[in-house]
Amino acid sequence: MPKLPPALARLLPLPRPARAALVVLLIYVFLVGVSSLEGGIKVMGADTQARLFDNVDHPLAGLFVGILGTVLVQSSSASTSVIVGLVASGALGVDAAVPMIMGANIGTTVTNTLVSLGHVRQSNEFRRAFAAATVHDFFNVLAVMILLPLELITGWLSSIAQWVSDRLVGSAGADWESPVKKWVKKPVGWIEDGLGAMVDSDNLLGTMMVLVGLVVVLASLIFITKNMKTLIAERVERSMNAILGRGGGFVAMIVGLLITVAVQSSSITTSILIPMSAAGVIKLKNAYPVTLGANVGTTITALLAALAASRPEALTIALVHTTFNVAGILILYVIPILRPVPIMAAERLADIAVERRMIAVAYVVGSFIVLPLVGVAIFR
Amino acid sequence: MVMSFFRKSESGLEHVSHQTISMLGDARHSFDLASTAVLSGADPGAIGADIEATDRRINEAEQQLRSELVVHVSVRGSDDIGLVLGYTLLLKKIERIGDQAKNIFELATEGVSLVGADDIDEFVARRQEISLMYVEAADLLASQDIDAARDFLARSLELNDRCGAKVREYMQSERPGSWAVPRAILYRYWKRIVANLAGIVTAAIEPLQSIDYLDDGKTDLDD
Repeated sequence: MPKLPPALARLLPLPRPARAALVVLLIYVFLVGVSSLEGGIKVMGADTQARLFDNVDHPLAGLFVGILGTVLVQSSSASTSVIVGLVASGALGVDAAVPMIMGANIGTTVTNTLVSLGHVRQSNEFRRAFAAATVHDFFNVLAVMILLPLELITGWLSSIAQWVSDRLVGSAGADWESPVKKWVKKPVGWIEDGLGAMVDSDNLLGTMMVLVGLVVVLASLIFITKNMKTLIAERVERSMNAILGRGGGFVAMIVGLLITVAVQSSSITTSILIPMSAAGVIKLKNAYPVTLGANVGTTITALLAALAASRPEALTIALVHTTFNVAGILILYVIPILRPVPIMAAERLADIAVERRMIAVAYVVGSFIVLPLVGVAIFR
Repeated sequence: MVMSFFRKSESGLEHVSHQTISMLGDARHSFDLASTAVLSGADPGAIGADIEATDRRINEAEQQLRSELVVHVSVRGSDDIGLVLGYTLLLKKIERIGDQAKNIFELATEGVSLVGADDIDEFVARRQEISLMYVEAADLLASQDIDAARDFLARSLELNDRCGAKVREYMQSERPGSWAVPRAILYRYWKRIVANLAGIVTAAIEPLQSIDYLDDGKTDLDD
């Protein structure tokens, strides 16, 4: 996260209304980025598109690409927005994108796990912090283990998302005249014209538009998150205090959802929990539902990105993200016998990690980098 | 609870600050009750429950506010780290003066009563002086008035010296132990309370490293 030097930051105390207006502008820039990405893929030839996405035809390859991509940008909001852009271009089908979305869900958990490693020198703090971080990992991995095979066999997740999408914007395959798409058309046209003047080949123009889109999406999300965090810090503090005082369960989940929707980043929400857990201020069973709320809340960004898309499938895949996370909660949290499973797994792993600290590092590198890389190599 | 996200109310450290002042009010209440039990012969049985409940309230507030400080740092990062560490010291001091009021009350439960003693007026005046210092310390926490705080610290140092002198005087007294010892102990507790109140005020105006110290670190308030 880019940070202004403290002296400069003090010189630039942005008034709240100005900061709020800046966030609106940044959301617009984000939508331009998604649209540029979609446009860039469309400009590329059909052969190039096929070459790019043939590699992720296998669901496990898609899953691992989703993990790796998200680990790389440390934001599932960014990676799922990119996936929405790709689906919107028509180059990536909803079926191929579903495992990628699930992978993004797993990949995003690396951020708070890395934050928890900061407590590695204090055994008790580290045990609590690492458990609070990895409970998110275990929930997401278990959700994928249950829901991905079900989806591959029955297609139920995408069917639900498709059903909702049909009712909201029309049937798949049709062009959807999103009003937001109209607003972002001009700046995307400027990007295309500007880059088109520099290169001759469609493939190169498409690649450059995709790269510009990626940079714009990432940068705008970083600044949206940064400004929203400043805007709502007091509310976050108040609601976290409310959870500590009396809340738990579904209240904590809704608080996690609200904070994440506001800051557009589940990593921010889940990372806030780590020092609180390390200090023992919040118990794992109370931090866990906040994490689950954050999982659902982070899907708002992909839904937002779908507003700038020209195909209903973009909204479908964004809704798959939401449906997947809600279904995961319904199975792993609402069913009493399954609720303690991620908590117990996280506590067990934390106990092991405290005994041998290198295992914690090996877990992060192995789970989030080595395993996905090997997985992509095998299944591509 | 969920609505706390949408409601507009005081920020995290503002809330801690207000609660700290409220804790000082509770600590003063305990002090007044405990001192009254010793000086006016109030029935310890009648006020014991009130003192216990007030102490419990202070302890719970301390734990709650410590949690809130951790939440504040978790959400805001290290921007307010000096203030947060200062508040943790402040909270501990208020909790301690709450405990010291309990110690005074224990004198009463042990049967110490200065009712009708020839020096009672002096004790009543001192109790009144210290009780008012709680109010002043709370005001200074709220106002952060540096000049008034310096004046308070000078007076508290002077009162501390007087309390110390009284302790020494009673230790060397040739009167019976049952007369001198309770007086020496009472003054000793009062001396500690005054030192902690001074520490609380330094927390309001001095940088973190100078809390509990005066004169560029030469004078240790927390003896």
